[in-house]
Amino acid sequence: MNHRPFDDWLLADQPLTPQQARDLQAHLQSCPQCAALAEVNLALSSARAVPAPAGFTDRFQSRLAAQRRAVQARNRWGFLILIMSVIGILTGLAWPVLKSVVQSPMDLVTTWFSDLVSLWAALQAMSHVSAVLIRVVPGFIPASAWAVILLAGGGCSLLWAFSLRKLTQRAQGV
Amino acid sequence: MTDLSIWIARAQHGDDEAFTNLVEAYQTPVYNLCYRMLGEAGAAEDAAQETFLKVYQNLGRYDRERSFPTWLLSIAAHHCIDKLRRRRFSSISIDEDEEGQTELPDHNAPDPEAETERKQEKGRLQHLLQSLEPTDRAAVVMRYWNDCSEDEIARTLHLTVPAVKSRLHRARRALAALWEAESAQNGPRRRAYESPAF
Repeated sequence: MNHRPFDDWLLADQPLTPQQARDLQAHLQSCPQCAALAEVNLALSSARAVPAPAGFTDRFQSRLAAQRRAVQARNRWGFLILIMSVIGILTGLAWPVLKSVVQSPMDLVTTWFSDLVSLWAALQAMSHVSAVLIRVVPGFIPASAWAVILLAGGGCSLLWAFSLRKLTQRAQGV
Repeated sequence: MTDLSIWIARAQHGDDEAFTNLVEAYQTPVYNLCYRMLGEAGAAEDAAQETFLKVYQNLGRYDRERSFPTWLLSIAAHHCIDKLRRRRFSSISIDEDEEGQTELPDHNAPDPEAETERKQEKGRLQHLLQSLEPTDRAAVVMRYWNDCSEDEIARTLHLTVPAVKSRLHRARRALAALWEAESAQNGPRRRAYESPAF
């Protein structure tokens, strides 16, 4: 059987003229394929949405809360594994020192103590040398050199204050 | 600014109450799409919940220039298509109607016999939908249940508009062929298009 143009009309979803509607109706009486297409069209166009079951939103909120807890637990485990890894790596790197601590703790304490004493003595010597230099060096500089240094310092201060004032005025946009 | 835009903006800033409003507003179209795609109430609820979880996680990436319902349905449709591809779907019982329960005839309806027939036909359509290829099924559901335009379906399913038209035609022809075969098995009965309303 020739289904054209009837199946085209049925698939196009366009309004038909009264004559086309009559021709289609007559064709549908004798054509089971086009009749089935017309019935499917009708069933689809009258289809209604199935509403979500009652309590859908509450169940979603519970699920969201459960997922958050799972993510938090995963993050905690991840952090724990990271910390353990860092501790493991540091232990591996520090193993030579740790080994000597374990084997002869007194030797290590003695070495550290003598290092601290040496450091303390070096700092004392440096402070004595600095004090001597501060006392002796000003005597070697003539009075005219002090005057030049003071004038140069004062000029630089004035220049700095002037520049600062200019920049502040420009930044305020006036 | 509409309520929807306000809820989306607030939800994007981590407001759970605003996201709950979005779930309330769109639970039916999303659930219906999942139900029509998967054919079973439990799986549909699961898929709809997972869709909203995905939306919650990806809301930061949502472009407010796009239509929110289309974006939402796109996530639901792809989720269902993936689910269907992962498993071989076993068809639900023809006696089951919407919500996975047998819908009883309404004896208060003007014509109880016609009402029963209408409900049977809806169950039959749902059953036949399961025979379609997942992408065709998604296109049919979005077109007839969610009133999406061919352009929106094309963007949602990453197809061209002519491809959507072609899929919709093919799907309707396939449904009609199955409808005809079932009608032949069940014997002659009054046809819906013969009613004065057609």
